[in-house]
Formats: sequence, structure tokens, C-alpha cells
Amino acid sequence: MEKIEFEGLGIHLYEETLENGFTLYMIPLPEKKNYTMVYATRYGSDIIEFAKDRKNMKKYPTGIAHFLEHKMFEQEEGEDPFTFYGKSGTDANAATDHDYTKYICTGTKNFKENFRFLLQYVNTPYFTDENVEKEKGIIEEELNMYLDIPEFVLENKIKENTYQKHPRRIDVGGTVEDIKKITKEDLYDCYHTFYQPNNMFALVVGNFDVEEAIQVVHEEMKDRKNCDNKKPLIKEYQEPLEVTVKEETLTMDIRVPKVLFAVKFSKKSFPIKDHQLLNIYLQLITTILFGSSSIFREEARQNGLMSGMYYDWEEVENMITLTFHIDTKKPNEVLKELKRVLLNIDISVDDVERYKKVWIANEVRLSDYVEAMNNNVFSDIILYGKPIVNRIPLIRKLNKKELDKVLQHFEVENTTEMIALPKENN
Amino acid sequence: MEYIKKDLGSYNLHIIKTDKFKSVVVQVSFRSPIVKEEITMRNVLSDLLLISSKKYKTKREIALKSQELYASSVMDEDIRFGNYINTNFYLNCLNDKYTEEGNLEEAITFLSELIFSPNVENNQFDKASLEIVKRQATVALESIKEDPANYSLIRMLETMDPSSPLSYRPMGYLEDLEKIDESNLYVYYKNMLKTNLMDIFVIGDVDASKIEEIITEKFQSNTYKKTRKPYYLDEVKVRSKRQIIKEKENLTQAKLSIGCRINDLTEEERAYALTLYSIILGSGGDSKFFKNIREKHSLAYYIYSTPNKLDHLLIIRAGITKENLKKVVKLIDNEMQDMKKGNFTEEDISKAKELFQTSLDELEESPSRLINAYYMMELLGIDPIEVRRKKMDAVSKEEIISVAKKIKIDTIYCLEGE
Repeated sequence: MEKIEFEGLGIHLYEETLENGFTLYMIPLPEKKNYTMVYATRYGSDIIEFAKDRKNMKKYPTGIAHFLEHKMFEQEEGEDPFTFYGKSGTDANAATDHDYTKYICTGTKNFKENFRFLLQYVNTPYFTDENVEKEKGIIEEELNMYLDIPEFVLENKIKENTYQKHPRRIDVGGTVEDIKKITKEDLYDCYHTFYQPNNMFALVVGNFDVEEAIQVVHEEMKDRKNCDNKKPLIKEYQEPLEVTVKEETLTMDIRVPKVLFAVKFSKKSFPIKDHQLLNIYLQLITTILFGSSSIFREEARQNGLMSGMYYDWEEVENMITLTFHIDTKKPNEVLKELKRVLLNIDISVDDVERYKKVWIANEVRLSDYVEAMNNNVFSDIILYGKPIVNRIPLIRKLNKKELDKVLQHFEVENTTEMIALPKENN
Repeated sequence: MEYIKKDLGSYNLHIIKTDKFKSVVVQVSFRSPIVKEEITMRNVLSDLLLISSKKYKTKREIALKSQELYASSVMDEDIRFGNYINTNFYLNCLNDKYTEEGNLEEAITFLSELIFSPNVENNQFDKASLEIVKRQATVALESIKEDPANYSLIRMLETMDPSSPLSYRPMGYLEDLEKIDESNLYVYYKNMLKTNLMDIFVIGDVDASKIEEIITEKFQSNTYKKTRKPYYLDEVKVRSKRQIIKEKENLTQAKLSIGCRINDLTEEERAYALTLYSIILGSGGDSKFFKNIREKHSLAYYIYSTPNKLDHLLIIRAGITKENLKKVVKLIDNEMQDMKKGNFTEEDISKAKELFQTSLDELEESPSRLINAYYMMELLGIDPIEVRRKKMDAVSKEEIISVAKKIKIDTIYCLEGE
């Protein structure tokens, strides 16, 4: 077992890796009453084509990772997870994203039994024709729920316009048409390929005993074998830097127009090769340009240019994409202004120093919350392969000189823009 | 954890001293009996105070000041509590231990400046700042249907009892927004400071006497305020025949909202057995709704119930296929009937109690939820957390059945596709 300090937080990370490749990450916070535990696989909706035998590629219906997540709650014998966790007032949940599926359990009691059950129920799939069929109605309702939220529909559309080949262009839940085709055999294929110890990990944060957690993992995970010591062969897409559609205008059932704008960058084009450091600099740039204290936001407010905006960064293969979502009554003007700011970046040393202080304070504040801490460390593991324990010293070292190097390669060329207008009869 | 309450004349200061958190949270609450036509104004006012003040003219200046105070954040929120409208201003700030000596005091000063020293000249708020807030409010009000599940709930409450505060839209109304100007809003603001009941909460690892000193200096209010209006709405009998209302929008999935009236509960039943009733019936993955309507019949992805104690309501919400409406309502009826007949087990009860205990444990890990718990104790005389734990454990099956008999469906509202 390894013990490493989160620098500047007075909190420790414990790591235990088994021979089969399974890793348990633990962050004990003994002064808290609650805990959040997650058991996860590095398998999400981005994987729809793979060769389980490493030879014959097979394409599976979209949305299958999410469907599988729903079906893991089915048990052949004994109690189902909701009944089991209900007894100790523990909340059970799960989530699927593009690059992971996670099973979550939050509670305050019965840590050992609850952790054991989490590993056990995800380790025992039970799919039948009937229970697979039954789930289709539930998932169809889930997908329909999202289809009624314009923001969600547009997010999927901008991804389609951004990515040419990669499944990131498809919604995590898949299409209703596709999920209707899913069979129990498909589910077993995906399960046996991706729910293997060397593709999975567990993360526990909050009030629990480290020794107990390790003991449970040894008992439940040690004898689990990877069905093949090789990693499965997953289709690679070589997503190009060019977007699919450069511009689109459409009408929707909305009252106020929406603008979406995405910029695709190649990670390789930046001079900083440290993955995490590059991401921090990119975030620093957008926070200074578009964050709460940015001049852009203030001017947009004063001029009535927009009523709401958010943006995010996401990574796909060697690409990194910045996407803006804006509510505005002046779509063309907003787009013009956004591009003007992105093409004439002006950042001062003061801006950089101010955000260093803000970000360090935020790291400290975040450690007050078990769930937030779990979410952050979880996304580090997915994105960087391990928890980042030195974020505060990294932030301290940020400087204008290095930022300028990133800015020299911040090329806003591969962009896609979308304007959604209200339908006329509204 | 130590709770200290200080009567500072025209308001109470509540200090919750605990070393659990690295942050200090301050909540300043104003409340007064709700007036439908003033809801919009209230929302605009609280937003306006946080985007412009005498010292910090723009939202950007306010954001820069927040950042300078080690990423302190200020927020506002307007919510209805039964017959009252309540406005909270929050400050979330790191403890001086993690920043520098005097940072908390400066942050509290900052909060008080935002609330008490607005950007006003000649008895008028700054016009340009008000325009910004009004523009944002217009968009929010115009886009209300973009969250169809929430819109369904709003419409259900409006058709259930249009004259009661329970039907008031929390964000307000476009027609009221138009009437707001720099002058009448300032009159409303002065009136709020003069007549509203006010409470201040501070939670964190703080020195209580120092906090009292700072608050006394920075939050000066000398008026004497009192209101007798009860927080709970008056009880209304359920209509003799339930009403079923369908409205059309361009939707893929129908959004179902059901309003049930709750009558004649004792105070103890409302505090305890009602909570257990709703957990067993429709909250969470182990409820009757989840097990039967979702898992067994595959009729919904989400379906749940929540009690609204101040309004004497139980609200049920679900996303369904519109053709299944009758089937879903029938199943809901069956489950509620089963609750009345006592068709639930001792295990269901003990699981609901465990869930309640866990939610109290989790509440104790959140500064803002802890403040809210103390606020409700202050306002409604709700039992302290440890008493709640004990009393909840003692609730019997008969008491839950007794509650079940006092809950009846009043309005079934379905917002569906064309």
C-alpha cells in the first residue's frame, strides 16, 4: 500500500494495487460522518466497436454501455442493490459517460458490508431475454425525457457538427432505435470484455477504515482474473482536426435564440507536453477571458449581448475541444464578439496571479465536501490515469511566460457555429 | 457543535460553532408575508443588489473583489415558505486559518456593503444595472417552458388552487417585470429593510464574540418588526371529485404532476410519520413507485413523491408516455390505497427510518443545510436534530396508516405532446 499526501490540504491518498491490475484508491476523512464509494470501469459510450477476441471487429448498438449500467442492478439471487442498501439508509446510484461507467454508493453506516456488496453486485451480471426486454421501456422514457430539453438536444447537435468519425458525436444513451436492438448476448460481450479487474478501479472518500477497505478488496477482487491478459482491441477513429459542419442555423421550440460555438485543437500542436499542465493552462485562458470577472462578460451584460453563457473543454483522442453555450437575442453579434476575443487574446500577469490565488482557495474549500472530492479525484483518474496530488504546487508554478507559449499555438481555426432560432409561431 | 443565539434588537444572530469546515458561511435572511404582485420585484431586487453597489459599480468589480477575498462567493435566493417570501444572501468564505488574518471580517463587510449600500442616487437605483437584471429576468421568464417537467408542476399548482400562494410562480411574472423601475424598486427595497423580519446565521470555526462584534457593527438595523401571519398555509379540503387536466406542448414525453391535499395531520404526524409515508410510497430506489411502476411495469424512468409540509401537499411527479396516463394513475392509486390498508412491512418502515437518519447525518456535513435546519427550528419550532432522531425511531405502523388516510389526490395534470 502506498500513502501520498495531497500537498497543501493535509489529506492523504492511499493506494492498493492487486496483481490482476485492480487498484483501490482511498481518501479517509475521519472527521466526516459520510462516505462516497465508487466502483468503475474505463468503459463508456465511446466504445461501440471492438474485437473481443482481438481479431474480428464487431459493431454494437449505440447506448449499450448505458444499457449495461441499468442491467447491472439485476440480481439472479439474493437481494437487489436498492433493497440491500435501503436497509442501512444508503443511497445507490450509477452513471455512464463517454469514457466511464461508475456505480456509486453514498452513506454513513455499514461501510464494510456496503463496500463488499458494491463489488459483488457489479461482479455478477445476470441478463435474461425478459429482463433485457423490460429495461427497454424504462430507457426509452429516459431518452425521451432528455429529448424535451432543448439545451440537451443542441449539445448533441453541436457534437455531431464537431466530430466527423468519433462516437463522441452520439449521445451517451444512444438512440431509441438502437437500444431496441440490444440483446443479452451483446451485454455479456461488453461485460466480459470491459468489466475486468485491469480495466476497473474503486475510489472511496470520507469516513471509513483503510484496513477494512483493503480487506474487502482482497477478499472480493484478488481471485478475479482478467479473461485475457491482453487488452481488447478497440476501434480507433483518427478523428480529424476539421469539423463536420462549419455553420448551421436551425429552428426549435424555444423562445430565446441559442448560440453554440466550438473550437477544435490538436493537443500535439501545443508546446507543453505534460497533459495535466496543458489542461490547466487552457482552463486558465478561458477563465480569464470568459469567467465571472472577465471584461467579455461585463461588456456583454452592459450591451445586452447575452443573458447566459457557459463553456466546457473536452478531450477526444488527440483533440481537445472548447464549446460555448449562449442564450442571446443577438446571435450574430455574440458570435462576432466571441471570435474577436478569441483572436485577440490579451492576458496580464495580474490576471494570472489573481486566478492562482482563486484556484488554490477553491481546492481547499472543495476538500470540505466528500462528494465533490470524490468527483474531482474520479475525473483525474479517468483523464490522467491517476489522482493528481500536487495540484496546489502546480497552480503555484503557473506563470505568464509559459502561458504565452501556449497562447502562441492557440489557433482558432477549426470552428463550428450553430444558431438555434425560435420557431415563427412562438 | 455549539449553537448560540443572540437577540440584537431588530434581528437575531445565530452562531453555529463547529470545527468541521474549512469555510465559514454567512446567511442573511429577510422575510415578509408574500404578495403575488411583488414576487417579481423581490427576485429583481436580490439579483440587483449582487451586481452593483455604491462601492462596486459593476458585476465585474464585485467578482474581482470576491476573488481578492480568496474566492469568497456571494449568492442570493428567493423562496416561498408557505405564506412568506424569503430572501437569502449567502457568503461563503475560507476561514482565516487558510487565508490571512482579517479576511473573514473583510468578507462580511463586503456582504453588508452589497446589501445595505446599493448603487442609488436621488432615491433611484442605477438604471443601467437594473436594465441588465430585467433583461436576464425577461429571458428566464420567457424560457419557462424549456424545462417542461418544472412547467408541468407550475401549471398543476395553478390549476389546483389559483388563488392560493401555493400557485404563485417562484420566479414571478412578465407583466409585473415591465412595471418595475428605478424608483418603485427603491421604495420596495427601503420597505423591505424597514418591515421584513431578519435573521443572520454564521457557521464555522469562529470566535463567537468577535463575530457578534463584527455583525453588530456591519449590520445595523434599528426598526422594530413583528408579524403574526402564520407560516403554514390554511388547510383546504380536497375537491369532491378529482380534476384531470391535460395541456398540450410540443413534447416527446408527457410530464405528469399530481397534487394531493393533506388534511388534519397532528404536528407530530407532519414532522415524522408523513416523512416515512412519502419515503415508502415514492422516494428513492426502494419505494413502491420505483419497484412497481418503474421496475415491474417499465412505465417511467422517474416517478417520485415529495411532501410540501408548509402547503399541506404531497406532490407526485413522473415522465411517461401519454397513452399510458390512465394505467399510471391507476397504479399510483393502487399504491396509495395499499398504504392506507397497511400493505407495507415493518422492514419497509425500518428502511425508511434508516434513510431519514442518513439524511440527518449528511445534513450535518453541509454548512448551508445546517443553517437551514436551524432556520426552520427558529421559524416553525421544528425539533432539534437529536430529538428528531429519537422521535422518528418511535413512529409506528399505525401512525403511518393514519397519515395515509389523510392524503387524497386533488389534481392530476398532464403536460403532453400534440
